[in-house]
Amino acid sequence: MRKKVMARLVSVMLTVVLMTTMLTGCRFGFASDPDDPNAEDKKEPIDTSTDTFEYDSSLDGTNITLLNTKAEIQVALEEMGAEYEKKSGVHIEVMPVSDDSPYTKMISLYNSGNPPTIAILDTTDVIALAEEKAVDMTNENWVSQAEGYTTKINGKIYSFPLCIEGRGIIYNKSVIEKALGETFDPASITTLDEFQAFLDRLVEAGIEKPVSMAKEDWSLGAHHLQYIYETYDGTSEGAQKVVEEIKAGKMDLSAYKRMSEFLDIFDVLKEYNVAKGDPLGADYDEMAIDLADGKTAFWFNGNWAWPNLSEAGAKETDEYGFLPYFMNNDKDDFANQMIQGAPSKQVMVDRQVATEKEQAAGRQFLNWIVYSEIGQQMLVKTCNIIPPFQNNPYEPADPLSRDIYKKVHEQKAFSASVIVPNDHWAVLGAAMQKYLAGRSDRGELMESIQDYWNEQE
Amino acid sequence: MKQTSIGGTKRKVANMLAMAGLIIIFLAYMFPFIMVVINSLKQKRDIIKSPFSWLFTIKGLSFDNFVKAYTQMDFLNAFKNSLIVTVSATVLVTLLAAMLAYYIVRHNNGISKLTFGLMVASMIIPFQAIMIPLVSIYGGTLNLLNHRITLIFLHTGFSMAMSVFMFHGFIKGNVPLALEEAAYIDGCTHSQTFFKIVLPLLKPIISTMVILNSLAFWNDFLLPSLVLTDKKLLTLPLSTYSFYGTYSADYGTIMAGLLLCVIPILVLYVALQKQIIGGVVAGAVK
Amino acid sequence: MRSKNNGKDFCMFALPGMFCFFAVVIIPFIYGVYLTLTDWNGVAAVKNFVGFKNFGGVIKDTGFWTSLLLTFKYVIFVVIIVNVLAFAIAYLLTRGMKGENFFRAGFFTPNLIGGIVLGYIWQFVFSRVFVSIGESTGWKLFEVSWLSDPTNAFIALVVVSVWQLSGYMILIYVAGFMGLSEDVMEAASIDGASGLVKLKSIIMPLMMSSITICLFLTLSRAFMVYDVNLSLTAGAPYGTTEMAAMHVYEKAFTSRQFGVGQSEALILFVIVACISGVQVYLTKRQEVEA
Repeated sequence: MRKKVMARLVSVMLTVVLMTTMLTGCRFGFASDPDDPNAEDKKEPIDTSTDTFEYDSSLDGTNITLLNTKAEIQVALEEMGAEYEKKSGVHIEVMPVSDDSPYTKMISLYNSGNPPTIAILDTTDVIALAEEKAVDMTNENWVSQAEGYTTKINGKIYSFPLCIEGRGIIYNKSVIEKALGETFDPASITTLDEFQAFLDRLVEAGIEKPVSMAKEDWSLGAHHLQYIYETYDGTSEGAQKVVEEIKAGKMDLSAYKRMSEFLDIFDVLKEYNVAKGDPLGADYDEMAIDLADGKTAFWFNGNWAWPNLSEAGAKETDEYGFLPYFMNNDKDDFANQMIQGAPSKQVMVDRQVATEKEQAAGRQFLNWIVYSEIGQQMLVKTCNIIPPFQNNPYEPADPLSRDIYKKVHEQKAFSASVIVPNDHWAVLGAAMQKYLAGRSDRGELMESIQDYWNEQE
Repeated sequence: MKQTSIGGTKRKVANMLAMAGLIIIFLAYMFPFIMVVINSLKQKRDIIKSPFSWLFTIKGLSFDNFVKAYTQMDFLNAFKNSLIVTVSATVLVTLLAAMLAYYIVRHNNGISKLTFGLMVASMIIPFQAIMIPLVSIYGGTLNLLNHRITLIFLHTGFSMAMSVFMFHGFIKGNVPLALEEAAYIDGCTHSQTFFKIVLPLLKPIISTMVILNSLAFWNDFLLPSLVLTDKKLLTLPLSTYSFYGTYSADYGTIMAGLLLCVIPILVLYVALQKQIIGGVVAGAVK
Repeated sequence: MRSKNNGKDFCMFALPGMFCFFAVVIIPFIYGVYLTLTDWNGVAAVKNFVGFKNFGGVIKDTGFWTSLLLTFKYVIFVVIIVNVLAFAIAYLLTRGMKGENFFRAGFFTPNLIGGIVLGYIWQFVFSRVFVSIGESTGWKLFEVSWLSDPTNAFIALVVVSVWQLSGYMILIYVAGFMGLSEDVMEAASIDGASGLVKLKSIIMPLMMSSITICLFLTLSRAFMVYDVNLSLTAGAPYGTTEMAAMHVYEKAFTSRQFGVGQSEALILFVIVACISGVQVYLTKRQEVEA
């Protein structure tokens, strides 16, 4: 009944639009594309038959809120919340962040006296807020399952790592094989020189500009540039050490090996960039289409690019994967063997406004994600997330996440999380854009980086 | 079209040139809208790869985007919310501003001057400067957020200055004091005089303010996003949030959603169009 | 409506509107001014009074002064182009041509779309549509995206702002022209005043009140440009198109220096207030009673 009314309204709206279109003077045919990837939202079935998780029955009927800053899993989180409610009786209201700054949202929510019980945030946001607002979760059960992926603030853990995200140089295997007429073994490339030689072969084989790279400041300022900290020795402690030394003025960037190595590979990527003519005009969605179509063979990005590739026509059975960010010609350098796979998105539970019961319900939800059979499945299958928890037996379905999952389990990934100020990506992203566009040289870029750190207290 | 005998042909040529110029500028004005309408019917891939191509050259043309936008926005509910907020706030601000402006014009005392001066000055306060204080007062201290009525009140307050400013100019120039005095002699009270004599005279400026204010309320994003978090209360602009992903946007759905949001206001605008011009003409500029 | 019952009139006519205005605009504004004197960071539970320390931070923030300078440049371009264009179009639209109403409606349509969405549409037009036109026609003008070059991105911002603001101003100028009495115009024609003389010595003085309002509105809106700045360029390429209001916002929330950002917003307000005050004073002097 309701559906009928809705359908009628839709058709009225469509008529109006149709007429507007007519007025602009265009004629067109009406056809729907059966290949539309949006149309078939297929879902992985969740097996809910076994559930050994012990629910705290005293929490039944509690209402809590969850602030989601990972827009692509909004619907998935709502489904998860509904399932959790079915089992535990706790109702979770999932709130989206409707503008682009989670931190601003948190500030306005705290000021309005209505903060979310649970908030999914970026690591820098957690660091800014946790000591004052969050529940200390150092002694939670799940901590033991997330070894190596937790973030400590003054020795305490305030946040739950939601997922592992990895990045590197994405390749499209079938495109490469088609161009070269031979099988492609990603492991056969081990150094920067080999990578460049391989790019030259692709150029000869007809892929004129085989690389895509995003112009966005978050990509350049965070995902590219942060390699200079992360590859110091591949650990979070090492990365933090570099940052401290630059800040203290103890490190001369022009003499720092990783800085010039980083620029070496960046220059190679820049040279073979498909948007070389207008690198700052590159379009993110177009890059996905180019890689799926085979106009390019490589794209520097992370596993979060999958929805875009999938929209561009890539199938889950296609072979995509990651190459390391080759820093030099030393085969034994870990940076040339491993890709970066670190926890992103941290979840914190409010202790300032939330009641004891609400806090307990929030914490139970986090444990439910880690320990219940249903939570484990939903984290991987519904949210399409690579779980940072050792006890989660499920493998992600898309090729990019699968590759990272595999590399994490084969010790082919390093996890170095560096904690930088929140505006690092924006300020230095701008400096990197300048360098990418050829409007500054290495010296000026290093100067901007040094200046940025000098300004920090 | 009136024609004077002086310089007939010369005038004609000039007119034609002016007309041609106007049409060119007009098309430039309409260009983005045409792009939106065309691309709202295409799929993402075609939008990215060939945004300018005409509709019939593309294979996957469809209304899918509209259907998707419609369902994801929970259109009917968001429409209802937007309608309630816009209509109430518009009525409230129009009435209160007309009364306040009337008072200011007829009572040239200290309070009037001060209020009017503050209002003109407040039109240049950057919203960023009051955003956080606003939420901490209305949320943190008074705990009033997440209610439609709060949003209506805030909308009313924010558009008060501009509305009073416009009414003030109009009343000063177009409402003769003599009429009111005649009404008093006939024994009307002040409020009777205002509602029966003055308000009808304000019709042109009222329609102008109705369209300007309802446009602003209908389209506003920042203020509702600060006030409303409950999904059941979201207004139309807020309901399109899900089309903007972390890394890329769903262009087709965004454009379809945009058209769905704009159409109601377009209808109102077309209906009130003549009076709007009249309203400004009649003296908002005096 | 005068003399007796003044208090009752005040309560009935003025109070409700004043209450809304003071409660929503003035009180938060005063509270905001107070916050600039504290070290509050937006979330902390305690606020310590620090005097004018935040304003010291403003002086040190070179990015703010750069963005302010750029804003000045932007305001000059936008104000001049918008007003000249709107004045000219309004003049054409009041000469009794066919389809005037249609045109008037059309020119107003940019106002039907909210600022943020509008910026996204133009971003799409500049980065996708124009580039695709450039590809198929080979026009140098559209070869690369305008948004990837500092100068062109600035031009793009001006173009979009002109597009958005002029519709509103056309409306006000149209109103002004329609308010000019036929007699004045006819008399001028019969006296044999030529176009330019007529414009300078007859039309302009009579249009001065419209010009005052339009200048005030364009000045203040251009100074506070935020939505379009954010959604069209977001400061790109490499931070060269970041205007004052956007810088303030970024300072307060991205760089997490709430007090400094709040102080910068206050300074921006004072600057705009002074400039528009001077403008209104100057143009008001030119007005003649019609």
